[in-house]
Parts: sequence; C-alpha cells; structure tokens
Amino acid sequence: MEHELLKVKNDASSLIIAAEDEKELNEIKLDFLGRNGKLTQLLKRMKDLPEERKPEIGRLANEIISTVEDLLATRGEELRGEKKEKIKRAVEDITIPGVKPSLGHLHPMSQVLFDVIDVFKGLGFQAADGPEIETDRYNFEILNFPKDHPARDTQQTLFLDTRKSKATSGETILRTHTSTMQGRIMEKIKPPFRVIVPGKVFRYEQTDASHGFEFWQFEGYAVDKNITFTNLMGTLDYFVRKFFGEETKIKFTSHNFPFTEPSLEGYVSCVVCKGKGCSFCKQSGWVEVLGGGMIHPNVLRNVGIDPAEWQGFAFGTGLSRLVILKYQMDDLRLLTNPDLRILEQF
Amino acid sequence: MLAPLSWLKEYIDVTLESNKLGDRLTEVGLGTEKITKDKDDIIFELEITPNRPDLLSIIGVAREVAAMEGKKIKYPKAIVDIKNVKPKKVLPLKIQTDHTINPRFTGMIIDGIKVKESPQWLAERLIKIGQRPINNIVDITNYVMFELGNPLHAFDYDKIEGHVLKVHQTKGGEEFKSVDGVSYHLPKNAVVISDSQNLIDLCGIKGGENSGTFEETKTIFIRVPVEVPNLIRRSSQALGLRSEASAIFERGVNAGGTIDALQRCVDLVLQIAGGEIASQLYDIKKEEFEPWKLSVQTNRLGKILGIEIPKQKAVSILESLNLKPIARKDEIECTIPTYRNDLKIEEDLIEEIARLYGYNKFPKIIPGGEIPTKTIPYFKDYRLEEKVKNLLKASGFSEIYSYSLVSEKALLALDINPEKTLRVDNPVSIEFEYLRPTLKIGLRNGLLQNKPNFEEINLFELGKVYLGEDLDKAKEAYFLSGISNSKSFVEIKGVLENLLEELGVKQDPSKNIEATEEGVLFEVNLSEVLEKLSPRKKYLSIPKYPPIIEDLSIEINPKIKYGAIVNVIAAQSKLVNKVELLDEYRNKKTFRITYLSRERNLTNEDISPIREKIIKAMKANFKATQI
Repeated sequence: MEHELLKVKNDASSLIIAAEDEKELNEIKLDFLGRNGKLTQLLKRMKDLPEERKPEIGRLANEIISTVEDLLATRGEELRGEKKEKIKRAVEDITIPGVKPSLGHLHPMSQVLFDVIDVFKGLGFQAADGPEIETDRYNFEILNFPKDHPARDTQQTLFLDTRKSKATSGETILRTHTSTMQGRIMEKIKPPFRVIVPGKVFRYEQTDASHGFEFWQFEGYAVDKNITFTNLMGTLDYFVRKFFGEETKIKFTSHNFPFTEPSLEGYVSCVVCKGKGCSFCKQSGWVEVLGGGMIHPNVLRNVGIDPAEWQGFAFGTGLSRLVILKYQMDDLRLLTNPDLRILEQF
Repeated sequence: MLAPLSWLKEYIDVTLESNKLGDRLTEVGLGTEKITKDKDDIIFELEITPNRPDLLSIIGVAREVAAMEGKKIKYPKAIVDIKNVKPKKVLPLKIQTDHTINPRFTGMIIDGIKVKESPQWLAERLIKIGQRPINNIVDITNYVMFELGNPLHAFDYDKIEGHVLKVHQTKGGEEFKSVDGVSYHLPKNAVVISDSQNLIDLCGIKGGENSGTFEETKTIFIRVPVEVPNLIRRSSQALGLRSEASAIFERGVNAGGTIDALQRCVDLVLQIAGGEIASQLYDIKKEEFEPWKLSVQTNRLGKILGIEIPKQKAVSILESLNLKPIARKDEIECTIPTYRNDLKIEEDLIEEIARLYGYNKFPKIIPGGEIPTKTIPYFKDYRLEEKVKNLLKASGFSEIYSYSLVSEKALLALDINPEKTLRVDNPVSIEFEYLRPTLKIGLRNGLLQNKPNFEEINLFELGKVYLGEDLDKAKEAYFLSGISNSKSFVEIKGVLENLLEELGVKQDPSKNIEATEEGVLFEVNLSEVLEKLSPRKKYLSIPKYPPIIEDLSIEINPKIKYGAIVNVIAAQSKLVNKVELLDEYRNKKTFRITYLSRERNLTNEDISPIREKIIKAMKANFKATQI
C-alpha cells in the first residue's frame, strides 16, 4: 500500500511537470483526484488495512494528496503565466508586417464604371447593356445621320464581313457609339425614363496615345414632359463634381451632333492643375470630356415618341477617357496593357 | 479651317484680345484648336462642325464674330455690275445641264487676260491659310472660295472643244486626269463636264488638266456651281479624293451665293489679270434659291431651354445673326439667308438663341419630378458583375481588359478556325481582323508578358465574346475567364465553386477548367450562368434537431470518381444532408455522412435502414464493400 501510494505520487508529479497546458493539467487532476481517480481508488482500500497501520498510511496519504494539489496549483500558475507571456510576445513588435491573404486588383476601368453607375443610380438612372454588332439603322439612321451625310465622317466605321450570311454588305457594323441604345430602348418603352449605357465601341482609327479603334463610352438620356437643357447642364455638373471631386468646375460650349439640338460640349477644370494650366491640359486649364444636347425631334419621331408631348436630353462621354483623367494616365493604350506593374497600382 | 486675324479684320472690327476671341469662338461653336503667331498676324485654327459649310469661309467666321460682338459686316464692294453687263463681244458657248445633278450653273467668259504670278498680297494670304499659290487666275478662284464659301472653277475657254459644256453622270471606268496631273478611273454616277470630245471636269472635286488655266491661257470661263451633296460625297469617297471644294459641296453650298462669288471673282480677275467680259451672265437654275421663313414659339423656347430668355433679348440675338426677326404675339418669325442652310427647324433657332446668349449663363438644375421606376428594356444589373469581379479579386486574380479584335494568327494558335469566326471587312490592321470567340487569347498574352517580372501570375477578364460562324448565327455573350501559373486545378475549381455558390447556381465547373503548358485556364459563359441565377435567397430555419454523423469506410476501385460515389450516397435518402470525403488511401475511401431531419429527432432506427441501403447501393453500383 505504502509502495503503491508513492508510485502514484511519482507518476502524478512527473505528469504534472510535463503538462503543456491547463486542459492537460485538468485531465491529470481528474485522473488522480477525481471520483474514480487513482488516488481516490487507493484511499478507498484503506478500510481493508489492519487498524494499527491506518494512522500511518492515512498521514502519508494526506501528505501525498496535498503534495499533488500543490504541484497542480504551481504548475497551473506557471502555465497561465506562460500563456500571457506568449500573447504578449505576439504583439510586442506591432510593426512586423501582417500576413496577407493573396488579393488581386480590379481594373481601373471597372472601378470607374461602377463609380459612374453609382452616381447616376442616385439620380434615378437605370443601366442598360446592348449589342456591339449593330445595324446601320440603330447606329446612324435612327439618330438622324442620313446615308451619305458628312457627319458620318466623325465616326469612321468598321464593317463586318457579310459573306456566308443573309446580311447586306455595309449594313452590319461594329457600333461606333453607345448611342445605338437610344433607338433600341426608346422604341420599346414609353416615357418617362432615365437610362445610362456603358459599353465598348469601335472606330476605324489608327491607334495613338489618345485614340484607339476600341474604347469605352457611356451614354445617358432622360425623357419626360419637362426635361430641359438646364437639366442636362445640372446633371452633368452634378456628375463631374461627384466623380472628380466637389471642387471640379464645368463649362459648356456650343457644338453640333446630328442627334441633338441644341447641342453642347462639356469641359471640366483640369484634374492635374485644378485649372491653373499645365501640360496635361495644354495650358488651357480645361479638358473636354462630354458631349450632349436635347434629343433631336427627328430621333424622337423615329422611335415613335411625339416631340410635341415629350422632350429630353442625351449625353455621352468616353469612359476610357474618364479613367485616364481620373488617374492622370498619359496614354489610352495603358488600359489594354495586361502588365501587372500597372494593374497592381489600382 | 484657318482664319488669319488680318483677313477677318477686312470685314469686321475685332477689338477682343486674341485668346479671349478664341475662347468666345469656342463657346459659340467654332472650336478654337490653336492660336498661332505668324509674323505680325495671328492665325486661328478652327474646328468646323459638319452642319456649318458657311464657316468654311473667312466671311462666315467674320459673321459669327459680328454676331458675338453685335457689329456689322463690311462686304467687299462690287465693281462691275455683272448682272447688267453689255459685253463688247460675245464668245459662243453652249451649256447643256440637268437640274437633278446640277441644281445651279452660274458662269461668265472673260477674254484677253494675262496669266502670271499673283500679286504679293494675294499670294501671302493664300500661304497663310496653307494654300500654294499657282497663278493669278487659279489663285483668284481659290481666294474667292475661301473668302465667300462658294467654290469656283476657271476653264481655259480655248481648250473647250466645240465650245460646248455638257454636265452629265459617268457610266463608270472613264479615265480622268486632274489639273494636278494625277490620273483616275472614275466611279459610276460621278457628275462630270464634257466638251464635244473629252471629259474635262470632275464636278465639285477637281478640274481637268485638259481644260486648266496655264500660262498660255488667254480666255477663261468661270463656273460657280451648286452641286448635289451626296453625289459629290459618293464620288469623292469612291476615289479617296477630297478637296476644299468637295468639303463645302458635301455639306451643302450656299445656293443663293453663286452670283456674289462670280461678281467678286470677275472683279478681281479684271483688276489683277486684265481682260474684259465676253459673255452674258449664265445662270441656269432649278429654282430661285431664296431665303426662307422659320419661326420659334416663345413658350417653346423657354420649355426646351428651361430658362426664360426675354423676347427682346432673343430678337436682338437673331438680329445680330442677320436672321431678320419679326416679333409677333407668341412667336418670332425669321427670314433665313441662304448661307445658313443648317437652320431648318424651330430647335435650330432655339440653339442659335441659346449659344449666343451664352451657355455658361444658364443655371444648372437637376431634373425634378418623379423618378421612373419601371424596369427598362436591356436592363443590366451591374451589381452582379461587381460581385463576380470582387470575388475573383479576393481569390487573388487581377483583372485585365483586352481587345475584342484579334489576329488570324492568334486564332490558329488556339486551333480556332478563322473561317468560322466573325470578321471585319476593313480592319485597321491584320492584327485586329477577327472578333474573338474566347478570352483566352488576351489572357495568354497577359501571362507571357508578365513572366519576366512576376513569379505568380493570376489574371482574369470578364468581357464579351462573339460566337457563331457567320453573321446569321452571331451571338454576343459575356465570358468570365482566367489564367494562373501558380494555382492548381482544384484551387481554381474551388474559386469557381465559390462563385457559383455565391450566385446561387448549381453547376459543376470541372469542364470549364483546362490545364495547359503555360498554366491553368478557365472559361465560363457568364451570360448563361446568370440566366440560371436564383436571385432571391430565402431564409431556412436553423435545424432544431441535432444531426447524426457517421463515417463509412469502403473498398472501391480507385478509378471510380469521387463525384459519382457522393451522388449515389446522397440519392439513398432525403435525410442524407451532407457527404464529405474524410480520407482515402489506395482502394480505401472513408466518407463522413451527416443525417439531418428538420421535423424530428433522428434515432438509430431511422438511420440503420438507410445505412443498409447505402452499403447495398455501393455494392450494386461500384462493386464496393464496406470495411
């Protein structure tokens, strides 16, 4: 009995010292001192001992119990201390770089696209999307660009190969502007409506720093009983201030587009020099960004809307150009360059 | 259009400082692209919109300045009265023309001229606007065109065979040598002039060499025509040949201005080259080409613009534009001079008033009224696109935008048949000839381009592809594609599974992933996926009853796909809620099966028959046995 008690004590103390955490320590405690613990079981056998041995063994047993309890308590405190120490160590040098999960980058065009949609959503405009392979009718005819009209020169066109199909040569094209979606939507719906259309457009144009044969545009229009020219100006002013920053100024000049009358162009104060004049804005302090006007009565008639009852504005801008301006990039071709050294900046 | 300040000053007092004048011109619609100093002069480079042929002349620009500044134009004074001239001798000339192809033919013969170099003032003016002086006669016709906006042509009268001018259209294929010595084969329906023998003029575009004015010329016939815009445009485009004259005719020349231009030209010829008038005034015309009436309703003016411009102010603006306004009760009636053939509808007059009133004096007001809520046709929910892109970004992919137009070479590299790919007839270069049927081209390029600088490359693109082998079958679709040289097949599959789950679409993406030499590629037809979208998530109550979880180990042919086994297990009972692969080693696989009921507590009695069923099914389907 005495021998067994000592063995249990030794087992317990070596285990306690080796314990790695409080959970383990608790298990050890249960294992030895619990209701079915090894020590408890041994003590239950005390009653079988001869009377004269009882006091001596009893004392030894009590001593062993208190030693084990002491050991448990001491180790417990040690472990709690170590844990604190560990936690402390982890935040001791907070300048250590964090471990980042790998994260990619959204293209600046997407970021600008979502920004633009967001601004116009706030004004009640719904976004639409339509085909890039278009007909002459939606790209030109409906929009008051008659065949053989010099205005078509402003939008040099890429024609699709019509062999092997029923399409007439010269009639199927890649859209030159997102304004195609004026006809497509307006002929299917009655006013009032407010629409924006972002999308890719194509031109027969040689590529350089500010031109491309493929670029992104975005179109907006609104038709109601009393939408006015000043509303167009108000909408564009709101947009550029939301998009480029509250301090941005806008000014308008007269222009001509076949599908609007009266028409305007919008210039914003240079985003680089804030209007003081720099190389980015060719010293003028202003950069041209928008074109628009009141939808031409012929266009409304062409889509079956009575221009005596309804009126509205339309405008368009180069989404690619907005990206270039917003991030002060110097070349349109950067937007189609997949170099991660560019993409990672956004 | 180049406009020297000194030339403008001939017709109008310009008091504005030139930068200010440039700004004002831009504001009213003559985009001032450049202002350059030229010795003691200043040259304005103006962008003229296609609706304003009148502004392709110095007088036209001066008229705009006059309107801006509220000043009057001084037109050049006529010297000889060409309408009532009584020539000493009359040289014979027979003109045959056709109003449908040549609405107006104005002309006159001048005899006894001396062709020589132009006087210095004339040559200098032409040089300033970028024209090369040739000889006094050619230079005068050019000068008058740039001054007044009506193109003119001088024929050598003695070279007109049979003294007959016949205006007609070509049959196609005729040979024509222009005055500058270049030969052309003419397209069909070009408007030309022939004499009794030869074709001598390509109307509205270029004169012929065989009837041009050279040193030996003694007698000239000056023609000032009105041409049909689209006839000129078609021939000019077919030939790829443009001239200052064709630019004016395409846009619509001032049909009422031919006599004034001829008058100016005759005066200058007599003054500079000498000679005398040797014919009556020819003026063969389809109609009188008189000014027309156009009115603007005062209430409509306010309704379109959104501001009240006082009637008085509107009238004075129209007056400054020489539109002769007459104010009535509810409208202002104007008489439109023939040089303003862009003014056809009421809105055109509203624009005239607005642009000279000054766009930047307008208030800026956001549209009021109710916001339309009905979903528009072609509506696109860009939030979905944003979600997809952000998920790819969070998975470590960076987004690229690549061209829709690709080369034949790029298609062949991916084993795509160019014959079955949509094609552009007039590509800007063979690099950009076909419409891409896949996004893989741009992604592979992106990967290769980044290799020298980066070890781990993960790129994606969400963009349009153009499907169908010809236009009748053409279909545009949005694809979502990506490439990675650092992620494994299962990692990419996990990304796509996350994406589909996020969109609420049940679809196995395995077939969309392809391992290639460069890296793992994926391509998903996102348009199709989004059609299957289950947009509304519905709340499912948290299970009230605990699940029963059991592990099942089987011996099974290792070639049998994991997916097939899971499907069979799941099919055995509706209580099977989840099946996961816990462990596999050679021909042993261990699955963890979770049973769950939303109605009651499950007991072993519920589960044991299912367990039996699963084991039987394993045996029947896969010859697998429980271990």
